Amino acid sequence: MSDSDYLPPPIPPQIQNQPPTLPALPLEETLEDREPVSGVLPAVEAILRQPRRILRQLRQEGHGSLIACLILIAVACSLVYGLVVGSFSRGDQLYQFWTAPVKIALGLVLSALICLPSLYIFSCLSGSPARLVEVFGVLAGVLALTTVLLIGFAPVAWVFSESTKSLPAISALHLFFWLVATYFGLRFLHTGFAHLGAKSNGGVKVWVVIFLLVALQMTTALRPIVGTAPTFLPAEKKFFVNHWFECLHD
Amino acid sequence: MGNDLNTLNLREIPTLLRGEPEPSNQAIQHCTPRRVWLYLAVIFAGAGIFGAGVGCWRGPLQALYTSVKLPLVLLLTTLGNAVLNGMLAPLLGLNISFRQSLTAILMSFTIAAVILGSFSPLLFFLLWNAPALGEKGDLSEGAHNLILVVQSLIIGFAGVASNLRLGQLLCRLSGSPIVARKILFGWLAVNLLLGAQLSWNFRPFVGAPGLPIEFLRKNAFEGNFFEIIFNAARHLLFH
Repeated sequence: MSDSDYLPPPIPPQIQNQPPTLPALPLEETLEDREPVSGVLPAVEAILRQPRRILRQLRQEGHGSLIACLILIAVACSLVYGLVVGSFSRGDQLYQFWTAPVKIALGLVLSALICLPSLYIFSCLSGSPARLVEVFGVLAGVLALTTVLLIGFAPVAWVFSESTKSLPAISALHLFFWLVATYFGLRFLHTGFAHLGAKSNGGVKVWVVIFLLVALQMTTALRPIVGTAPTFLPAEKKFFVNHWFECLHD
Repeated sequence: MGNDLNTLNLREIPTLLRGEPEPSNQAIQHCTPRRVWLYLAVIFAGAGIFGAGVGCWRGPLQALYTSVKLPLVLLLTTLGNAVLNGMLAPLLGLNISFRQSLTAILMSFTIAAVILGSFSPLLFFLLWNAPALGEKGDLSEGAHNLILVVQSLIIGFAGVASNLRLGQLLCRLSGSPIVARKILFGWLAVNLLLGAQLSWNFRPFVGAPGLPIEFLRKNAFEGNFFEIIFNAARHLLFH
């Protein structure tokens, strides 16, 4: 049979076992959702109270400024929370106030950038027609929400920082706060994917595991974030599980 | 899609990943040389970057070699089996031309290469965190095993995802899931047969610490993959 002989079936047959479609919330449900988000503080407010507004605007023209705002929020909040993290070692001779904030902001941004290509691929595989910039926008929203929540935890973390001398204890506390904040950030990601037209969320679940592993490893790659060291980056390479066991052992 | 026939359009790649029926059918029906060039470029870029990640733990030269060899293995497997795959499709119930079967397989390798490329930052991050090769006995060996497992998982995932899309495409073209499954298994079997042997000939990819870095081993064409597996199994069971 030649090329010209072949005619595909006029109506492509339905493929069996297609994953169920996620119930995507309508984007233009209320008038409030249509209100554009402009500026850093409205963006903070919107990501906490009306995430739908953020998601809607990410699909509109001029989403660049919103994404820039979200990244700015994420970096600024990381730096502020980093000051609280670093305050644990204030009495130490090697203490430098800027290392923990820079490492936290850097780690967060690097983790997101490392995982962005795979997130985009998973979004495509799940059937979403979202462009890379939209996926990037949702990821920026995840970072912004996570770090805004960390700011909420900052006073509590500071009180504990001032009250304990145990490095593993304060590290575990920061890790716990980060996990709680990340949980809410990732909830935003799931909502975002439903809005972006993903037909299944299996890929996102796998990606979440990858992102958590990368972020946890980043804490070891940039260690010490809590505590001090003579150099900015460690000389010895380790996986985070090894590092944690060693810290607990010490 | 018709207006895109003569343009090298990278936007086709996300539609391939999503498995959108209409663009995929169009790509099969109207496979222009430019589209083939696009697929080849994506395979070289995606698999090349991943290959660089695989080889870079051993050294920069190994990274360069593997970044060339990995896409070559994919392409040579596609080309080497092109005639056989083109014959298998009609024999198993789908009347598509040789060119269409070749395009379909090229599309699936393109999807795999894009996935491999997208996971490359993760692989590089893992390697950045791994102790240098041979630095510390147990730690280095543990890291080596971890890297091999992660690489295998990524390659496995890319293979599964690309074949899933290929299966869906075949299902649409044939209108029968049974025919699609038969063809997919047929193609997979022959691609595995040739791909495994080519991988053996083109070794090393990671690069063993005790051996020199070279593009091909001096005994590259001595023995075959299945013979080695058979001998290893025999050794394991009877010694």
